[in-house]
Amino acid sequence: MAVISAETENSSSKKVQITKEIGRSLWQDAWHRLAKNKLALACMIVFSFYIVVSLLVAFGILGATWSTTVGESYAAPDWNHWFGLDIFGRDVLMKALVGTQVAMSVGLVTVMISVPIGLLLGGISGYFGGVVDEIIVWFCSIISSIPSIMLLITVTFILGRGIFAIYLALGLTSWVGLCRMIRGEVLKHKNRDYVLAIDALGGSHRRKLFTHILPNVFHIVIIDASLTFQMAIKSEVILSYLGLGVQDLPSWGKMIDDSKLELARGVWWQLGAATLFMFLILLSLNFLGDLLRDALDPKLRGQE
Amino acid sequence: MMNDIIDRTNAKMNKGETVFEIKNLTVEFNTSDGMFKAVDNLSFVIPRGKTVGLVGESGSGKSVTSLALMRLLTRNGHITSGEIHYQGKDLVKISEEEMRSLRGSKISMIFQEPMTSLNPVLTVGDQLIESIQLHLKLNKKDAFEKALALFKQVKIPQPEVKIHSFPHELSGGQKQRVMIAMAIACDPELLICDEPTTALDVTIQQEILDLIKSLQVSLGMSVLFITHDLGVISNVADHLLVMYRSKLVEEGNAQEVFKNPKHPYTRGLLSCRPKLDANPNRLLTVSDYMSEDGTALKVDPARLVEVDRQGSRVEKIKESEDILVIRNLKTYFPIRTGFFKTVRNHFKAVDDVSFTIKKGTSFGLVGESGCGKTTLGRTILKLVEPSGGDIIFKGQHITGLTKAEMRPFRKKMQIIFQDPYSSLDPRMSVEKILSEPLEINSPEMSRSEKNHIISTLIEKVGLRKNHLKRYPHEFSGGQRQRICIARALTLNPELLICDESVSALDVSVQAQVLNLLLDLQEEFKLTYVFISHDLSVVNFMADTVAVMNEGKIVELESAKNIYQNPKHHYTQKLINAVPKITNYPVFALN
Amino acid sequence: MNLVLYTLRRSLYIIPVLLGVCLIIFLLFNVVAGDPTPMLLGKNATVSQMAELRHQLGLDRAWYYQYFDIVKSAFTFDFGRSWQSKQQIVEIIKQGAFPSLCIALPGFMISTIMSILIALVVAFYRGKGIDVFVRFLCIALVSISSLVYILFFQYVLAYKFSLFPIAGFEPTLPDLLYYIPLPIIIWVILSLGPDVRFFRTIILDEIYQDYVRTAKAKGLKEIDVLIKHVLRNALIPILTYVVIQIPFLVLGTVLLETFFAIPGLGNTVLNAVNNSDFPVLKAFTVLSSVAYIGFNLLTDVLYALVDPRVKFD
Repeated sequence: MAVISAETENSSSKKVQITKEIGRSLWQDAWHRLAKNKLALACMIVFSFYIVVSLLVAFGILGATWSTTVGESYAAPDWNHWFGLDIFGRDVLMKALVGTQVAMSVGLVTVMISVPIGLLLGGISGYFGGVVDEIIVWFCSIISSIPSIMLLITVTFILGRGIFAIYLALGLTSWVGLCRMIRGEVLKHKNRDYVLAIDALGGSHRRKLFTHILPNVFHIVIIDASLTFQMAIKSEVILSYLGLGVQDLPSWGKMIDDSKLELARGVWWQLGAATLFMFLILLSLNFLGDLLRDALDPKLRGQE
Repeated sequence: MMNDIIDRTNAKMNKGETVFEIKNLTVEFNTSDGMFKAVDNLSFVIPRGKTVGLVGESGSGKSVTSLALMRLLTRNGHITSGEIHYQGKDLVKISEEEMRSLRGSKISMIFQEPMTSLNPVLTVGDQLIESIQLHLKLNKKDAFEKALALFKQVKIPQPEVKIHSFPHELSGGQKQRVMIAMAIACDPELLICDEPTTALDVTIQQEILDLIKSLQVSLGMSVLFITHDLGVISNVADHLLVMYRSKLVEEGNAQEVFKNPKHPYTRGLLSCRPKLDANPNRLLTVSDYMSEDGTALKVDPARLVEVDRQGSRVEKIKESEDILVIRNLKTYFPIRTGFFKTVRNHFKAVDDVSFTIKKGTSFGLVGESGCGKTTLGRTILKLVEPSGGDIIFKGQHITGLTKAEMRPFRKKMQIIFQDPYSSLDPRMSVEKILSEPLEINSPEMSRSEKNHIISTLIEKVGLRKNHLKRYPHEFSGGQRQRICIARALTLNPELLICDESVSALDVSVQAQVLNLLLDLQEEFKLTYVFISHDLSVVNFMADTVAVMNEGKIVELESAKNIYQNPKHHYTQKLINAVPKITNYPVFALN
Repeated sequence: MNLVLYTLRRSLYIIPVLLGVCLIIFLLFNVVAGDPTPMLLGKNATVSQMAELRHQLGLDRAWYYQYFDIVKSAFTFDFGRSWQSKQQIVEIIKQGAFPSLCIALPGFMISTIMSILIALVVAFYRGKGIDVFVRFLCIALVSISSLVYILFFQYVLAYKFSLFPIAGFEPTLPDLLYYIPLPIIIWVILSLGPDVRFFRTIILDEIYQDYVRTAKAKGLKEIDVLIKHVLRNALIPILTYVVIQIPFLVLGTVLLETFFAIPGLGNTVLNAVNNSDFPVLKAFTVLSSVAYIGFNLLTDVLYALVDPRVKFD
């Protein structure tokens, strides 16, 4: 049964919403819209593909032989080796596939470290206010006033090289943005009538924060996670260039770094492979983030 | 019926002196679910020097019509057919450039929200001068002089100072005057007013309406006045148009339409408004006159008779006990100023307020925005901590109780908020929203028991069981308020605070919800604290009325006495400012 | 309360932040990093040599002295000497600042102005083909690592087509103008993607406000509405975004400097990393933090000046 909630009247930018099905939550609705969008579908397919590749590499099914020499140094791409060979005669495509797993894991772990920190601190800060808020905001200011490059360099430098240092460094420096955004949103929602209603019903702080406020700010987490993921992958490239990156496995960053010596010889395939692989996943994540924001937004706008 | 309208339109045109003629206007919008018709085949005329009132509720298409006349529709809106004739031209077909030369000079518009309709980073003087220079080609000095003159014409206090002010430094009423000044700067032939006073206090509303009227007379311009408020329309309009769901359903001389409305929707609309001089048992609603698809219904004659409720309720008041006693209640908010943000002063939202409410009655709390009535309501429930005084609920002092100690009392006192769009968690289904109070307060209750309570309640408030699985964004404003009412009732409260609970609703929906509240009060023996800025609504609901101004109660009386015999000058001012419909209609039975 | 008091009060907030930053730097370099003497002296260092060096470097003093040193340096800019070159760090910074700024400053100004203009055009044509195309382009630009841009353009424009020198730097005109264009071009390309996206969002947020409808109802042309009304409001958040980037300009050139052999501060930092030159690293961290905090304050004050709604208390 169609329900018309007409708000065309006073603000020309709000559209009329006619929902046809019953009982669709905001998330389900957003998902439905996304699924209809061909671009979103394509991006989701790409993303899933990358996950599958990463899993296959992680379990050794794919790319385990990346370090074996299979031909001549700097051999050009051909039908056997689509991206040619590197200086040691190793298959560049194999390296790129392993690099996929490295990149996805860097992105994933960074998100897994920074998101809980940002969410928790932002939530507490926004909800409780007072001294706790002042301390957390102070802490955020400190971290953000140190340029991230310096922080990354310093932390990896101190923790030594290797993938765990990268995980930690990236994770510990990327949570500030999310923390601030969550804090802002929590502040907004804290004073909304539907949260005040819980007070009137005798509900606890825990209920207000976890059952009501956090689910309503969660969409920010998703969008930020996508951005953090991308930023982590790009930072890994810079770190590799600085010699602070992943050491024992081929990463896209290492491949790009290696290619700086190769270009002068006209060898472009390592650069091409790494760039292409990275481009596709970053592009997809970017589009997905934008489209998700659009899908969730119109309904959310109606709440304002 | 439609032919009737067309004939009358033609007749008017033949009389001459018609400034605008709109023929068969249809406006459609692209939405993600297809094309939506906001205005359907609308035809009317705007005579020279007269005010045409356009009345309708939300979704009727009235605002879209005004935007279409100015060709200011958003990018997804299109005039798909029809003509707008002005000075021999069809505005639908002229170029954007030609249209631009008309906007702001020959046809002007003022909008509903003065708060956001002005550019916040430019002075109001500059914004007015921009209008002047755009169309009148005056130099800076002359434009400034004209702007100053216009400020005086729209009666802005201290015009020489205010002309250099920014919008946020002006009050709502003053901002609207600036908008009017911008609109009349170039002597327009038509002034379109889209709900210009809806967001303003009732006393300010009166001033703005008078201003528009006097300007109309002195400038000889036509006015298209759009509103949902029938009281306002009856005082300003010469001709009246009634729109319902994108179509024009009634049209004619305003006084005649009020005396003798033909279309069932118009009849319903006129009847469903509570009045200051009567106190019926129930309000008639639009759905009493008209079914969903627009066919007229036969109204039971017995329902047209107004039974005065006051008599029986006064008796009840005398018999019942006190349920809530408020003594010297104060709620002060600290103001931090100065370099160190020290607390030097307090904002006295609720300033030494005392009253008593008897069980089973309705206590009305009325006042304009900022008077403290909402804060008072929330303080009673201890959603805001009181700064002093006593709140005694059923003989027990609850003022000093801690949060834990308040828990058992919460079940007995509930609140329904104003904004149906922010009082429900958008991510929870109706079922979850309704079962939450039970989860918090009666965790030991079984699932089936909860479901039973919820299903009963949802039907009591006029919704259906299959609505339980839906989400708030799938409901209209009125339906959401019903869900809020159901939620408040899950815990079986004795006292219910309705904080402007119907203010955000359309008039016809408002009537339905008010009737519902009365029914529920009867059934569940509830005591209401009814807070509103709308005197007519408070008059309908309340037995005793307290008038608030600047944190204090200036008059406290039974409803009957307060409206017939107001003592305090503020109360008198408020009552006088309410637009009244003169000439109440006598309906012929269908 | 007027502007001066407002600024003063905002400045008070800076002190705890500054102290906190120094604390972090202290923790990272003086505590977690441990004893650098083995690294500096090499494998055959004896215990007494290490102790001697530690004393020379002042690493054996009580922790509060070392912490206080860091705090003091934030105000006096006296960062001591580099462990590697023994030069006064302040001198090193002064020397390296000019080359870095030669690239960073023009690049920043050009990219900001270009981005605002593009964002305005795209906002004017919102929803149409050019808008979609530019959005896609921005997303694509952002999906490629900066390293790739540098390699690519250096290879194509300098090596292959010899339009620009591959690397090098001369501090004097006219040679200066020969060496800096390519790095500046790359900088601009790197900044356009994220900047245009951000500015576009800001401008569009303003376009949907009610006052824009009023402006159109007055009969203003679309372009005038955009420039006289929308831009004026949008500049407030844009200004904040732009000013905050300034303190990070210098470090943003790190990659460009290494590839184009420009003796700027970026290179200095990298050398310090490679040589475990703690004082230099500390100095840079302290300096950039102080700059960030300072510019933050500047942004607050500018905001208060530019937005009439901000009250000074």
